[in-house]
Amino acid sequence: MNKVTIKQLIEKIEGEAELDFTFNKGKIEDVNINFGFYRGIEEILRGKDARDALVITPRVCGICNHAHLLTAVRAIENGYENAGLRVNLSSKANDIREFTLACELIQNHVKWFYLTIIPQFEKYVGKQSNENYAIKATYLSSIITKALAIFAGQWPHSSYAVPGGVTCDPTHLDVMQAESLVYECIKFFEDVMIGGSMDTYLTIDSVTSLNQIEGDFGNLLHLISVNDMVKAGKTHGRFIVFGDCSIFKPGKSIITTVSNVDTSYVEEEIQPGTMAKAVTYKQKLYEVGPLARGMVAKTPIVKSLHKSYKDSMFTRIFARVHEVALLLEYSKNLLQNLKLDEPSCVLDKNVRPDEFEGTGVVEAARGSLIHKTRVKDRIITNYDIITPTQWNLSHGTKEEQGIAVQAMIGTSSIEEATFIFRTFDVCSVCTTQ
Amino acid sequence: MTGQNKPKLLWLQSITCNGNTHSFLNHPDLFSILSHFELVHHPALDTDYSMEDIIAGVVPCDVLILEGSFREVGFVKGGVEVSSLIELYAEKAKHIISAGTCATFGGIFKQKDPKSISGFCFDGEEKTKRYQIYASKLISLPGCPIHPKWLSYVLLMIAGKKDIPRDNLHRPVELYGYTVHTGCTRNEYFEWKIDTKNFGLKEGCLFYEQGCQGPYTRGSCNKILWNDTSSKTRVGTPCFGCTEPNYPGESLFSTKTNMGIPDKMPLGIPKRAYLTLTGVTKSFHIKRFSERIMEYDK
Amino acid sequence: MKIEDKKALKRESIIQTALQLFSINGFHKTTIPDIAGKLHMSVGNVYNYFSSKDILAQAIIKYTSEALGEKIREVNMMDISAKEKIHKIVEVYFTMAKEKPEMIDYFLRVYLSNREVFSDGCEGMVCVSGFITEIMIFFDSAVSSKELRDQDFFSAFGLFMGYLGGMVFLNGENVLPNDIDYYIDDISNNIYNALKA
Repeated sequence: MNKVTIKQLIEKIEGEAELDFTFNKGKIEDVNINFGFYRGIEEILRGKDARDALVITPRVCGICNHAHLLTAVRAIENGYENAGLRVNLSSKANDIREFTLACELIQNHVKWFYLTIIPQFEKYVGKQSNENYAIKATYLSSIITKALAIFAGQWPHSSYAVPGGVTCDPTHLDVMQAESLVYECIKFFEDVMIGGSMDTYLTIDSVTSLNQIEGDFGNLLHLISVNDMVKAGKTHGRFIVFGDCSIFKPGKSIITTVSNVDTSYVEEEIQPGTMAKAVTYKQKLYEVGPLARGMVAKTPIVKSLHKSYKDSMFTRIFARVHEVALLLEYSKNLLQNLKLDEPSCVLDKNVRPDEFEGTGVVEAARGSLIHKTRVKDRIITNYDIITPTQWNLSHGTKEEQGIAVQAMIGTSSIEEATFIFRTFDVCSVCTTQ
Repeated sequence: MTGQNKPKLLWLQSITCNGNTHSFLNHPDLFSILSHFELVHHPALDTDYSMEDIIAGVVPCDVLILEGSFREVGFVKGGVEVSSLIELYAEKAKHIISAGTCATFGGIFKQKDPKSISGFCFDGEEKTKRYQIYASKLISLPGCPIHPKWLSYVLLMIAGKKDIPRDNLHRPVELYGYTVHTGCTRNEYFEWKIDTKNFGLKEGCLFYEQGCQGPYTRGSCNKILWNDTSSKTRVGTPCFGCTEPNYPGESLFSTKTNMGIPDKMPLGIPKRAYLTLTGVTKSFHIKRFSERIMEYDK
Repeated sequence: MKIEDKKALKRESIIQTALQLFSINGFHKTTIPDIAGKLHMSVGNVYNYFSSKDILAQAIIKYTSEALGEKIREVNMMDISAKEKIHKIVEVYFTMAKEKPEMIDYFLRVYLSNREVFSDGCEGMVCVSGFITEIMIFFDSAVSSKELRDQDFFSAFGLFMGYLGGMVFLNGENVLPNDIDYYIDDISNNIYNALKA
């Protein structure tokens, strides 16, 4: 009898999770991930007005609420189109939505970096500094969400996206204030996170140039390297992205071959022992999130890291922080090119198909988020939410272990496995809804 | 977060989306506010005590912040019913802050199972059996999510040992004595009964057609702005009444009317008085209000 | 009697006298000296109460609208069904047409026919709000209690008031073969059937 199972409560993620680690001869052989309470958002939505999803679904999650709003509005718009009503968003409405979503992703990644990854890694390797990383997280997050709120009114839990556009009608003054806040975030990223200029940082395209990165990000990369952990936490090497915008491309990547995807092949399955449903694409497991986005979009530095270290936690952490730079650059450009003379909303509020079915997809902080709505007499008869964490944190299929489970397998300590688990940016509220 | 003599602050989560946690993390003066306390546990910030310590019941607590709706049985963390954990620390605490509409009244998650899910001391507007036990130390801060500045007001009042004047639902009157309508930038349009023609316009009031509940919802969203910047109604989104005991209602993007007459009246206004004024103001066609404030394509 | 009360009484008697003269002789053919003469008042004293004929005309429409509104308000306060309320409102309206025909006449022959007199100070519903408000209260509670169908206010209002106004007009022209009360039941039923949920 070499097998031992140890229960561990993981906190300071989004919510909490309970992990049961099964050790065999000193190595982790299997992990059961159990999430808390099922809140039943999908059931709550049934019987409500179709548009009420724009208010209710953000309450799935306190940290990626805005992604839920935008996915919900896309599901309705897709449904309208399926019912024969063309929805031609103005570029203004589209760009404002892209901007506010980018802001949410930035706050998420930076919070994860400073509240979770750095302190937990330092703890793990026994090199705890006295630095107040949390104040860095909240400083940046309060500034970028302020820029978001200029358009969306508030964060968390805005409902400013409506079928046909957005409810806000910004002025040049608003845009200027938002630009200035984005520049403040870029300054923070440069001076505190990478210790150099963002323009130079964005030219880094191979592993050999990583030593140019300084600041807190540079320190973390160094600390992972010197602890010889750059190759830890590998999983199946399959990535998938469904959302579509200027910086994220939909597609799937197996090893390094990228091909097209279609949401109709996505399947959800109930798993025993947890409220979290497993998700597969053509019965196969895929990783979603910043690493997947980097692989599918063929971001040079992400590809280079993958070439050297595969889908290790090092590559995964890098891809997420790297996305902060891409998103800041993207946000800046969106604001510079915003066409204020266009309409904010192209649909009349009274023009509403009574019956439709629609699917919405958005790249949320943790990966592809999918909402499916079915509406009759303007009332929701069925609502289905598939969250990114369901892809990454499921226990797996008959054939193979889940994405995060596989990444933890083979490690010899709970501490190491737990840290690898956290690199997936775990969110229990999204997983169970 | 050290300091032996500071009040010990414990943030406990029940059935929640973490929205209140993240809302408060955005407070621009977060660490200055927390410096008045010893933070013994928090869902996201690093603390000396772990969740396992909390579950073991060994953590001291002077101020308890509750996030999330309450369920008597069936919600378990680390093998322990969360309801009994909350009650354990509620006993110890000198102040209980129900942060958010879920913790206060039950909120959205109550709709999943209205019979067994409620707020901690209120179930909608009704008092739960816990009300009698904890009422003396209860401060209700409804909002979906909680406004960061509302929570900091309460925390700093506690740190300064000041009494917080409260209404019958234990909401601080300095925060909830207003309606969301107060300070709305669309007030001029409300005064002259001019509705906004569609979503996405800075002109017009959202009360007549778009479902805005601002005139009868308690809260100071348009006085103490969100993210120090804006509010729902300022960006053209209706107020959904998220601070109210009956939140969320139905058909949130349209106003319930009876033959064009709004079903619900601004707080405390008799319908007859409202309609008399409406009839008068609607009789005037004021040019300024029928025009756009500015046009960029001209 | 206090001086203010005396003034109020005097004011009302001017209104009532003017109301009769306007509705019988027409607005333009009636002069302030006519009104003063009938009241045995000096012309100057009438002007103390109303600074112009137009202002007087506006005060009259407010007065009649409030008088009718007052009666409908009593109906609104009753704990009866919307169907019964419709019956009562029709009764109130026809009773007024019979007992104080000048009030309804004034509305039809002066207020609606001389809009220029009312353009400054009586725009839209400003001077008839006493009556309109009560009709709104009636509609609101009847829809809220699901007795009447929800629809645009004016489509319901036009059906209700246009019908009553038309009947009073026919009655005034002596076209109706029966007394106007004869029609109350049928008319109330017709209105109810047209508006019911």
